[in-house]
Amino acid sequence: MKTISVTVNGSVFEEDVPERLLLVDFLRDRLALTGTHVGCTHEGVCGACTVHLDGEAVKSCMMLAVQADGHAVTTVEGLARDDRLSALQEAFARHHGLQCGYCTPGILMNMTDFLTGNPDPSEDEIRHGLIGNLCRCTGYVHIVRAVKDAARVLRENTGGAR
Amino acid sequence: MYPARIEHYERPQSVAEALAALGRFEPGDAIFLAGGMSAMQAMKSRMLQPRCVIDLQDVAELQGVTREHGALRLGAMTRYAAIAADAAIPSAYQALRDAAAHVGDRQVRNRGTIGGSVSWNYVASCMPATVLGLRGAMLLAAADGSTRRVVADDFFLGPLETARRDDEILLAVEFPAPPAHCGSAYAKWGLIKDALPVVGICVMVGLDDDDKCVSARIALSGLADGCQRASAGEASLLDSEGDEQAIAVAMDAIAESVETQSDQSADADYRRQLIRSVGREVAARAFARARGQ
Ligand SMILES: Cc1cc2nc3c(=O)[nH]c(=O)nc-3n(C[C@H](O)[C@@H](O)[C@@H](O)COP(=O)(O)OP(=O)(O)OC[C@H]3O[C@@H](n4cnc5c(N)ncnc54)[C@H](O)[C@@H]3O)c2cc1C
Ligand code: FES
Ligand code: FES
Repeated sequence: MKTISVTVNGSVFEEDVPERLLLVDFLRDRLALTGTHVGCTHEGVCGACTVHLDGEAVKSCMMLAVQADGHAVTTVEGLARDDRLSALQEAFARHHGLQCGYCTPGILMNMTDFLTGNPDPSEDEIRHGLIGNLCRCTGYVHIVRAVKDAARVLRENTGGAR
Repeated sequence: MYPARIEHYERPQSVAEALAALGRFEPGDAIFLAGGMSAMQAMKSRMLQPRCVIDLQDVAELQGVTREHGALRLGAMTRYAAIAADAAIPSAYQALRDAAAHVGDRQVRNRGTIGGSVSWNYVASCMPATVLGLRGAMLLAAADGSTRRVVADDFFLGPLETARRDDEILLAVEFPAPPAHCGSAYAKWGLIKDALPVVGICVMVGLDDDDKCVSARIALSGLADGCQRASAGEASLLDSEGDEQAIAVAMDAIAESVETQSDQSADADYRRQLIRSVGREVAARAFARARGQ
C-alpha cells in the first residue's frame, strides 16, 4: 500500500492504494468518477479511458495510480464549468457526435487536449488525432464535424476560452 | 486486467538512486517504468510480474534533447510527442521525427519514450530500426558509476533482447555529427493507420558535392529476427544518384535477400512487396532531404 495525493478535477484526494491499482480503477472505483470508461484495458488501444494528466491526454488504463501521485488529473466530469458544458461537449450534442456514448468521454478528453495545441485543424488532422479512440457506432463522420465546429466556436470566443 | 501484486513502488530522483533501487532486488524482480506503453501491457498480461516498479518520471538526467557540435543526444525519457515536434532535428536525422510522429496514437506519443522503445526492442516497432538505420548509440550506466556506449549494431540482439545488462540503465540515445549532404527517412505499413509496423524501413544516405551517394544505411523492422540492416540494398545505392531506377534496384535487392515470415498480418511474399513499395518511398524522401529539398 502507498498513500498518494492526486488532484482530480481541482480537488485533492489522498488515498491509500495498492501499488498495482490502475489509474482508471482509482478514478472509477475509489472516486466514483465513472465517466471514464474501460473498453479494452489490456492493450491500451481503445482510448475510452483517456483523461488528462497535467493537461495532456493519456490512457488511464496504461498507468498505475501511484504514478499520478503529485499530479493533476482531469476527467470528463471536469470539463463542464458551473453546469455549462464545454464548447466541445456542446458541439458533440449539436452534431450528434455520439450514439451509445461509450467512447465519448475518451474522445472529449483527447480532442480537448488536441484543440489546445491545434486551434484550427483540418479534417485530416482531426482524423489523425482520433486514431487512439475507437468508436463502434458513429463511423466518426459526426465526431469529426463536431470537433471542427468546436474549434470554430473556440476561435470565435478567444478570450472567452472554452 | 490487473498486474500481479507489486510489493514496492519507487520514484527515484536521480540515476544513482534508480540504480541503487534496482540493486536491492534480484535480477528481473525490479523493472524500470518509463512511459509504460509496453511495460503496462506486459504487466497486465502478466508476462512481467515485477516485485518492484522503479518509475523514472522524476529523473532529470534522463530528460531532454541536447545538441553539441552537430551531435544529437536524446535523453532516454524523451517522449515521442517531443521528438515529433522538434523542428531543430537536422535533416540527417529526420527519420526520428517520421517515426515518432506515427507511433500508435496521440495518447501513446504523449507517454511513450525513445528509451523505453529501444530497451524493449519489440519486433514490430519503429524506434529500434530507426536508431539502427541512423547509426545511433546507447549510453548505459551501471551502479558502480561506470558508463559505456554501445552502437546500435551491437545493442539490438534480437526480439526483446538487447545488450543492456540487468544492472544497467539507459541514459540516452546518441547520434554523431552527420557529414554534409546527409538525409534520412522512415515509413511503415501497418494493418491500420499508424499501427505497429508489418514492415518498417529507415534509410539514411550521404551524398558528395555532385549528389552521388557515398554512404547508405538501411534498417528494417517487422521481420521475425528483429530489427536488422539490409546490406544488399545499402551496397546497391552507393555511387548512385538516388534516381527512381537505382532506388527500385536497391529495394528489389533487399526484398530478394532478406528472410520474411508469414503470419496473421501478412504472408512472406506480401512482406517482400511491402519492402519494395515502402522502401521506394522512404529512400526517395531520404535522398531529397540529403539534397536539401
Ligand atoms: C496503442 C499502442 C500503439 C503502439 N504503436 C506503436 C507503433 O506504431 N510503433 C512502435 O514502435 N511502438 C508502438 N507501441 C509501443 C510503444 O512504442 C512502446 O514500445 C514504447 O512506448 C515503450 O516506451 P515506454 O517509454 O512506454 O517504455 P515502458 O513501457 O515503460 O518500458 C519498456 C521497457 O523498457 C525498459 N526501460 C524503459 N526505460 C528504460 C531505461 N531508461 N533504462 C533501461 N530500461 C528501460 C522497461 O523496464 C521495460 O522493460 C504502441 C503501444 C501502444 C500501447
Ligand atoms: S481501456 Fe484504456 S485504452 Fe482501452
Ligand atoms: S458512440 Fe458508441 S462507441 Fe462511439
